[in-house]
Amino acid sequence: MPVLVIFSGLWQDAGIFWMHIRTELVPEYIKNTLILAIGVSTISLIFGVNLAWFISNFDFPGRNFFSWALIMPIAIPAYISGFAWAGILDYTSPAYTFLRNTFGWNTGQFLFFDILSISGAIVIFSFALYPYIYLIAKAYFDRQSATMFEASASLGRSKIYTYFNLALPMARPAIAAGLSLVLMEILNDYGLVKYFGVDTFTTGIFSAWFAFGDKSAAMKLAVYLMVFVLFLLIFEKMQRRRMRYSGVSEGKLMSRIKVPGFGGWLISFFSAIPFLIGFAFPFLQLVYWSFDTWEQFLSQGFIRLFANSFLLAAISALIVMISSVLIIYTLRLYNSRRLKVVSVISTLGYALPGAVVALGLLVILTWTENFFIRQWGLKIVITGTWFGLIYAYLVRFMAVGYQSVESGSEKISKSIDQAALSLGAGKFRNLWFNSLPLLRASIVSGFLLVMIDVLKELPLTLLLRPFNFDTLAIRAFEYASDERVSEAAPAAVMIVLAGLVPVLIINRLIGRRKV
Amino acid sequence: MIVLEAFNLKKKYAGEIEFAVNDFNANILKGEIVALLGESGCGKTTILRMIAGFEKPDDGFLKLKSQKIASKDFVTAPEKRGIGIVFQDYALFPHKTVNENILFGLFRLNKDEAQKRLIEMVALTGLKGLEKRYPHELSGGQQQRVALARALAPDPAILLLDEPFSNLDAMRKNELRFELRDIIRKAGTTAIFVTHDTRDVLAIADRVFVLKKGVTIQQGTPEEVYRKPADSYVASFFGKTNIIAVDSNSMFLEDCFDLTIQKTDHEKNLVSIRPRAFRIAEAHTEGAFEAKVLEQLYFGEFLELICETLKQPTKLVVHADPDFVVSSGKIWLCVQAEDVTLIKH
Repeated sequence: MPVLVIFSGLWQDAGIFWMHIRTELVPEYIKNTLILAIGVSTISLIFGVNLAWFISNFDFPGRNFFSWALIMPIAIPAYISGFAWAGILDYTSPAYTFLRNTFGWNTGQFLFFDILSISGAIVIFSFALYPYIYLIAKAYFDRQSATMFEASASLGRSKIYTYFNLALPMARPAIAAGLSLVLMEILNDYGLVKYFGVDTFTTGIFSAWFAFGDKSAAMKLAVYLMVFVLFLLIFEKMQRRRMRYSGVSEGKLMSRIKVPGFGGWLISFFSAIPFLIGFAFPFLQLVYWSFDTWEQFLSQGFIRLFANSFLLAAISALIVMISSVLIIYTLRLYNSRRLKVVSVISTLGYALPGAVVALGLLVILTWTENFFIRQWGLKIVITGTWFGLIYAYLVRFMAVGYQSVESGSEKISKSIDQAALSLGAGKFRNLWFNSLPLLRASIVSGFLLVMIDVLKELPLTLLLRPFNFDTLAIRAFEYASDERVSEAAPAAVMIVLAGLVPVLIINRLIGRRKV
Repeated sequence: MIVLEAFNLKKKYAGEIEFAVNDFNANILKGEIVALLGESGCGKTTILRMIAGFEKPDDGFLKLKSQKIASKDFVTAPEKRGIGIVFQDYALFPHKTVNENILFGLFRLNKDEAQKRLIEMVALTGLKGLEKRYPHELSGGQQQRVALARALAPDPAILLLDEPFSNLDAMRKNELRFELRDIIRKAGTTAIFVTHDTRDVLAIADRVFVLKKGVTIQQGTPEEVYRKPADSYVASFFGKTNIIAVDSNSMFLEDCFDLTIQKTDHEKNLVSIRPRAFRIAEAHTEGAFEAKVLEQLYFGEFLELICETLKQPTKLVVHADPDFVVSSGKIWLCVQAEDVTLIKH
């Protein structure tokens, strides 16, 4: 629905602001989006793919640590990593102060360079998002059949030739699927590009809406954004379809090769780069700031902020999980094609940038409210309430919960349902005593993943939140934007800690050990 | 000419107590098709992987065309050995066509030579018309032929095949066995294959090594091993057999079967008689003995009779013609001395 509404924006009358935006800003938005996409793809591919290969196939100092530590940057939302790094490179940062006082390094106003630029944004995005590629590529490499590589060796080919001509091409669909997730995250981002002053479609939507007050212009920008997203979605689906023939075996897996001496340390060093840039340094900076502002943060309506955030996340996650379980359970019992279509549509929201979802919902909700007033004179307020916000989260994050339950459900044989039903258990009895306990792990992990996504969500919450309503993410972003970074830190630290939970879950899910 | 020599090859995996392969010795001659036969865990695959270079021996050595390729402290990398392998799952490269798969190992030739070799291989393995297909567009048998063509293309000194028939459907297995043998013969290659199925061995091997717990129990032509098994394990491995203890004091065999067996080896205190070796005779024929039929099982190709001899009751399995009718519940049987094999326990 929100998507259709957005596209209806194409035919709306254009205001004068739109003329200005289209000629002055849209080319800039397109250019920036493309530069970001290309830059981030390059860096995150280099690190994501190669690290996945090293971790999956080699033994080197620190391998076990890095195998999960390399996922950790995913716990820090890009905008938080962004302002943390801006702080690290700032004149007054502890790192710069230390280097200046001890070694007499002076590189001007900033340590090394001014990160608040498009190249800075590329670096931050790359090291925040490469784990998507790393995870999918590693899951693929871990399952890659050993005989494929032995065949190559027996035909006289070297290991390097085999990597570039067999391993990489066979993994291409998996890598491309990871890359498309990275690109979707870039399109979705508002916080980092806003803070770094890089104008893209999301910042454009916000300024059209808030600064110019031009709703139709915002919607037209959302259409542009959707074109990028649709392109990515189609690309991703195509790649996934090709993954079926990809040399993954149920049989013998590759055994890890020990890399001794210098080579091993070189790989460790290479692995350390993204971990330090993507996680350790920004997190330490946040913790450092938090020492100063922790008490202040706790005293300033902390309880309300905390309760708002977690209650909102928990309610949304609960609704997502209940809907997911019901849809999947019904699909298990009846192979309804119509319901399958519904399930596919309801999970597409994950690909939509939060700003687009918010915009589409705002329009729908306003229509509904006006409709009630006109028909029955009823004044119902949905916009700017918890209801609207939760509904938006449901649209956006349904896929996260759904996929978690679905993958759990696929592992449970359908004959279990049939056995229970044939023994005279009713459908609800079977659901309650049979399916729910069996799906417990998937439901719990899905619930946590949705909760944490809601906790981190920024653009959608900013647009749809009730008046004077704050979440941890908004607090962190607003303080950071107001150059009160150290006050933003405690909220950011909490978001990061919450974000580490799914990292542990993911690590356990993919932790199939190889000997 | 000896192509491959294995001397006292030993391998023990980390954390295991017993040797996976213990003192394996073999001289493989040019053009031979040799089978390594045994149940899973007998070490046959480990031997194959040591020859290929994917495992390192703990002791002993391997020589390929008189060149040492592996020993305790020296290993030639697999890519330097020039040994072809057909894997159990074929390991075809899924993103490459049939042609590209076969060309993969031909990088040392120039373009024209490689093309020529490719065409030869396609013709040899009967893949004509399938050159542009991808592996997932081929049947199991066709995939195997691609794997074979790919392994044979660089003209390897020796071809290794890991369980070459395990992935093929039972109906076509026989046909495919002979197809595979013909291709190997035409290519003039020396081949070693690993299997747990004695039918594969009997159908296509020139020589077989029967392995158990890493030790070679017997080697010889398939016929020798079938007819003169070294012990009860080998005897039962190659199909049903009657294993009867020969007590040196008792005159059981003489008494029962009217046979005298020359006992030369004291270790050999069992005899093996295949169910097919028994002939059904007229009552009271010279040299025949009487047995009670306890059970009859119809197998289509033969009728299996579970009998018990009347003198010194002993159970026997006898295979008769499928149309044989047991009339009185008793039959007369006779057996030739050459069908009675003395074996070790």
